Amino acid sequence: MGADSDAGASPAVPWRKVLYERQPFPDNYVDRRFLEELRRNIRVRRYSYWAVVRETGLVSQQLSCVALFLTLWSYMEQGNVGPLTLLWTGLGCSVLGYTLYEALGGGIDRERTRCADLQSAAVFMAFTFGFSPVLKTLTESVSTDTVYAMSAGMLIAHLASFPYTQPSLPGSLSLNAALFASVCLASRLPGTLHTFAMLSCALLVFALWPCLLQRLRHTAEWTFPWAAGMVCVCGVVGVGTLWPAGALLLFLALVILTLVCPLLLVRLQRHKDNIHGPWDEAEISDDLSRFLS
Amino acid sequence: MVLKIFFPRCCNMADSGLLVGRWIPGHDSAVVLAVIHYPFIPGHVKKYLSELRSQIQVDLTVLGSWSLSKDGQKEMDGFLKDLSTIFPHSRWLQLSREPGKKGFACEVVRKNGHAPPSGEEDKIIFVHYDQRKVMLSQLHPIHENGADVESSELRAVFHTVSQSEPLFLLDKYDDGPLKLTHWQSDGREASIIVELIKQVSVPVCILLTSLVCWWKWLWSFRVLNIWPVPFISSKLSTCVQAGYRTDHFQTVFSTRKATTHMDFMKKANMFVSFFVDIALGLLLISWLYRENRISQLANTLVPAADHVAKELQELLEWLMGAPAGLKMNRALDEVLGRFFLYHIHLWISYIRLMSPFIEMILWYVGLSACLGLTFALSVLSDIVALLTFHIYCFYVYGARLYCLKIYGLSSLWRLFRGKKWNVLRQRVDSCSYDLDQLFLGTLLFTILLFLLPTTALYYLVFTLLRLVVVMFQGLIHLSVDFINSFPLFAMGLRICRPYRLSEGVKFCVLHEEPGAPLHLLMEINPLQCSSVLQCYRTETSGCSSRDSWLALCKKLFVGELIYPWRQKTTKTD
Repeated sequence: MGADSDAGASPAVPWRKVLYERQPFPDNYVDRRFLEELRRNIRVRRYSYWAVVRETGLVSQQLSCVALFLTLWSYMEQGNVGPLTLLWTGLGCSVLGYTLYEALGGGIDRERTRCADLQSAAVFMAFTFGFSPVLKTLTESVSTDTVYAMSAGMLIAHLASFPYTQPSLPGSLSLNAALFASVCLASRLPGTLHTFAMLSCALLVFALWPCLLQRLRHTAEWTFPWAAGMVCVCGVVGVGTLWPAGALLLFLALVILTLVCPLLLVRLQRHKDNIHGPWDEAEISDDLSRFLS
Repeated sequence: MVLKIFFPRCCNMADSGLLVGRWIPGHDSAVVLAVIHYPFIPGHVKKYLSELRSQIQVDLTVLGSWSLSKDGQKEMDGFLKDLSTIFPHSRWLQLSREPGKKGFACEVVRKNGHAPPSGEEDKIIFVHYDQRKVMLSQLHPIHENGADVESSELRAVFHTVSQSEPLFLLDKYDDGPLKLTHWQSDGREASIIVELIKQVSVPVCILLTSLVCWWKWLWSFRVLNIWPVPFISSKLSTCVQAGYRTDHFQTVFSTRKATTHMDFMKKANMFVSFFVDIALGLLLISWLYRENRISQLANTLVPAADHVAKELQELLEWLMGAPAGLKMNRALDEVLGRFFLYHIHLWISYIRLMSPFIEMILWYVGLSACLGLTFALSVLSDIVALLTFHIYCFYVYGARLYCLKIYGLSSLWRLFRGKKWNVLRQRVDSCSYDLDQLFLGTLLFTILLFLLPTTALYYLVFTLLRLVVVMFQGLIHLSVDFINSFPLFAMGLRICRPYRLSEGVKFCVLHEEPGAPLHLLMEINPLQCSSVLQCYRTETSGCSSRDSWLALCKKLFVGELIYPWRQKTTKTD
């Protein structure tokens, strides 16, 4: 195997793969056993296509959520939807969602009481309502293009930093970016009540909906694809009513995300070639929690 | 071995006699202080020297003999040799000078009574010094305690000469048993006036000290020490200056005699600067109270203050529009602008209210110049501070608002990224917030971020205005500080009597001849002017505790208040 595998050394001494001992072999000598311990692809998982598609549904529905929010905003800006309609719908949705959440979470012991939930809701409402006149005039002197650019950047940041593996409580950065974007957009709306309605809507879409979706995934797994699919359809249809070309683009994006990307992943998995061996750094495989407790 | 003999220049042509002086311990050198002339009785000489020794704490001895050969005095040589047996010694110097020659002849006689063999003869260097200058001179850097005085040879020589002042009181014109040659002070008559002044100064000092004590006692009343008074008086430069002057007064007129050189110089510096200060102040008064200048000043001051207020009003109106095309928040802009406009309105009405009395106030305030120019300047600084109080208020409001925004934004930015400041570990940690915390934080963050430019612009403009005022006041304070701390007396000494403050000596060759001792002339190097300033400037608080430029810029950026709230507060985040 090595260049000097048959250098004139006595075969009585077995070669050892160590450098700290003086051995009767040249420095670059290697034995037949040199690559015995090489392992390939020991931790590669074989994905099934439909399982990956199922998981990708989360990404697609988040994208659709953003599209839905933008649709709602542009309806509000054009005056097609009144703020009161949106508020009542939002209230209905949230009550419905909350009951569903509670019904599904029967098995899990609750950390928060209903009173705390009510208090949080009151805080949201009060502060948003109180601040909405300020928010309304906040970006008055900033040009519209700047506001749009900032919102777009923030929404992209929201999508990029969303914790898709653990979406139970949306991550700080993603939620904050989404809220920042919605404040920017809401300040462009014609009235104070519009701003308030838009912010409540943002809260529903970006903060509360991921919680409900996660609960759905955990307790009633079969509902998740339906819920995600429904959101996707809503998003595409919503954009379609305003801008058909955009709807087509969104649809294409969703298809690529949900169907093509998993296919690529499964296909490319075949070409994976990881090598492992004793040269890897040590890994602690034991569960350390029993030592720590 | 080289034997150095420090010889006073005034004794060059002295009549023959005995050399009185001192062997410098630890060094192979001798200082000649005076020559005692014939005829004398050895007993008298010994008694005189022992009296002097106990008086001046310097080990004076008879070093040897001095002979200036004139006609008919040849036979004295034998007698001089005999003298060495009368006075106890380890070495006996025999100096002699021929009138025509430049150099001296010198012979060292050992204790055993004969000159050493010519092969082992010591080399001798004569260092000629000016006795008066060396006596009055103070060698720098100064060592006050006695141990260090003898540390170097030169220091020992200077110390010996200056300590031997009582020796120079007796001279060859006195009717006494001894006749001496050394430096002669001329003008004993003037010293009578000096003595009279000294006598008079004691009661004057006592009187002034008691006045100062009474003044201090007046200030120590409990009524004057309840809360706002000390605070305000520490901010008014007139009060600070009065405090300095009281301290100076107390130091200068204390009845305790200044013992060390530094004490003396300090007192003299304070006295002279005090004197000059008052003279300048009187000059100012004589200029100010002539030709109705006070009323002219009052007539220009009120319109000037009015004008400043008008300009500020215009500036605010400009800021309330779209200054320099900046994107300001209209609502906040208007609120801030109205707030400040109302302040200016208040200010203008205050000035209008004051205007009839301003001339009278100026007339009385101008009288303070008779306490010194520094007082007048301090009063001017205070008047400027009072007349620009609105600018100060604006600055404080702007800075507070800006500071609040900056701190809020920095902590909310951490919340925005899902981090928080860990006080215990002094670092930024990640943290999982509740939904309502995140929501509120982002809402506030957005609001603060969009309102920041407006606040920052107001802050910037008012800070610049404030900096202009502070710079003007700083200029006045610097000049007051300069008058307070400049060592006028030491500087005068340095210019008029350079030898009084010396930094060292330099030697130049007077006479060199093979086979004869070398003659050097010792001259005193005057102290450099920068060293004079460094050594003798009076300490004032203005000289210390100054922020660096970088720290100042940082403070300005974060919106911390600069002058006059300088004292540090411990910050908890």
